[in-house]
Amino acid sequence: MAAEVYYQAIGTVQSHSHLNNLNRHQKHQNNIVRLVARDFISGNGLSRRSTNRSGRRNCTVIRSLASQTSVVDPVLSPSRSNAGDSNKKSNEAALILIRHGESLWNEKNLFTGCVDVPLSKKGIDEAIEAGKRISSIPVDVIFTSALIRAQMTAMLAMTQHRRGKVPIMLHNESERARSWSQVFSEDTKKQSIPVIAAWQLNERMYGELQGLNKQETADRYGKEQVHEWRRSYDIPPPNGESLEMCAQRAVAYFRDQIEPQLLSGKNVMISAHGNSLRSIIMYLDKLTSQEVISLELSTGIPMLYIFKEGRYIRRGSPTRPSEAGVYAYTKRLALYKQKLDDMFQ
Amino acid sequence: MMAATFKCQPTGLHGSGIDAAAPRSSGNFGRFYSMRFACNTRCNTLRHVHTPLSISHDSSTESSLILIRHGESLWNEKNLFTGCCDVPLTQRGVEEAIEAGKRISFIPVDMIFTSALIRAQMTAMLAMTQHLQKKIPIIIHNENEEATTWTRVYSEKTTKQSIPVITAWELNERMYGELQGLNKQETAERYGKEKVHEWRRSFDIPPPKGESLEMCSKRAVSYFKDFIEPQLKSGKHVMVAAHGNSLRSIMMYLDRLTSQEVTTLELSTGVPLLYIYKEGKYMSRGSPVGPTEAGVYAYTQSLAVYRQQLDEMSP
Repeated sequence: MAAEVYYQAIGTVQSHSHLNNLNRHQKHQNNIVRLVARDFISGNGLSRRSTNRSGRRNCTVIRSLASQTSVVDPVLSPSRSNAGDSNKKSNEAALILIRHGESLWNEKNLFTGCVDVPLSKKGIDEAIEAGKRISSIPVDVIFTSALIRAQMTAMLAMTQHRRGKVPIMLHNESERARSWSQVFSEDTKKQSIPVIAAWQLNERMYGELQGLNKQETADRYGKEQVHEWRRSYDIPPPNGESLEMCAQRAVAYFRDQIEPQLLSGKNVMISAHGNSLRSIIMYLDKLTSQEVISLELSTGIPMLYIFKEGRYIRRGSPTRPSEAGVYAYTKRLALYKQKLDDMFQ
Repeated sequence: MMAATFKCQPTGLHGSGIDAAAPRSSGNFGRFYSMRFACNTRCNTLRHVHTPLSISHDSSTESSLILIRHGESLWNEKNLFTGCCDVPLTQRGVEEAIEAGKRISFIPVDMIFTSALIRAQMTAMLAMTQHLQKKIPIIIHNENEEATTWTRVYSEKTTKQSIPVITAWELNERMYGELQGLNKQETAERYGKEKVHEWRRSFDIPPPKGESLEMCSKRAVSYFKDFIEPQLKSGKHVMVAAHGNSLRSIMMYLDRLTSQEVTTLELSTGVPLLYIYKEGKYMSRGSPVGPTEAGVYAYTQSLAVYRQQLDEMSP
């Protein structure tokens, strides 16, 4: 089976199996934007866990061989002419990716995967530092994984944000969780940033290596085997995921739930993990599986993309507001920063 | 199980379902407590914990119980009713958590219980970054089978070096219903000042679609008795990171307070409270001073010895 991810050029994305479970309201893809946006504050339908995860995801995409620089023309974009939306029509949105910093098992050199280990002191500092770097970039919605280290990273980073909106984690585990976390003030909702936790953004699941240290693992399985699991694209460790499997669920989630937000002009922040983020970057930058294997994401350094007219423009890592030189990524972001500066004068 | 029913204290706990234990001076106290636990088979089923649960009836078992109320949240700062809305900590709240961690850095912790809300979970995780023992907190996931499988640890050694963290909605803040997200002004305008005061300060009057303190106590204390107390009984040292109302409900149980007393009980944020559980009794030991503060405050001999070992461990 091809080890490469095919990108959507022009064509239909057929997403089967679990994706339909995620958003039962979804009939046509051009309804996504409207429904996802509306579902926001009431917290319906997002980040619901798939019940049949074991099934293979069948994300068939048609690759355009004709053009290397083909524009991703999302079929999701009929929304551009879609009236009746409560969202502002903006053809540009910021996308921030943050990989969490050091966890307590990183410190001990243990394979972590999906084990829910929190940040170390250093990881906390990294998160706050990352927050300073993005303190002037607008954030309307936050997506994190289901693991505390990514959630803490997002929440710590946002303590530094200058805009003053308040992140609120949405709860959908049960009817009770939904009704108990309801907000009853319109004003307050307007000043809130929904935070959606999704297991699909979790770190790659490392199966039977989880909790082992590098030595134990080499002893148990042999050095070459371990190296192969860590560095290949499609070979999973026992009872674990390959990078390919991780990419499948992460990118599918990105396209189903996150991309529509960007399309509707919402500025998004994603706080996640090495493998889930590089899977997404593979999609954004149209990398091959070879390229993605050797892609290393720094921890705690936020990466900025501008989503505009269906394209993702990579803008590197924002510098801190106090650092010399004004780095205005786009005119819109420069204006936003100006407004914040005025607020704080 | 008549022998296990205790007489309520004079002012009583109206319909709260909380067992008020017999007065301390009663010589039979310890025995009644143990008997009740032995009969309560529910104590033995703690689904979510990987570590083996050994109920010991050894009366010399002593364990520490730390209660931490989370610090300032972003809505506290804005003076909005929060309740069960899942709002994170401010920078100040983060600092309070770290400070709290320093104060308990030398008190053993075998298990952590938190609410389902991020501000309590962050408080626990931030506090534990300051802890001197080498064990590492790991959040237990039981939402569904997939989550349990995905979060499994495959090394015995690593498991032994872990502190299970269990999240429970029963430890959540009191649910404030239709007041959630409103500021004090809006609320006074919408409902009238006296009404709001009544909801905030009474024991059993809930705001619209919300919980009264009594309702909050019921689920918090049941959870404590079913899941946390057995751990203490088996000698495990426990930390509970939660909220103003869920914690004072638990303290109502630990200190045998009346509903009058509990409505006036205020818990400082970010200041940990220590109890020693021994022979079925809870002894309040106030708030630990930080390790660098003058004066050695050894709560019990075993804690003093533990602290000594930690001091020897660190460089």
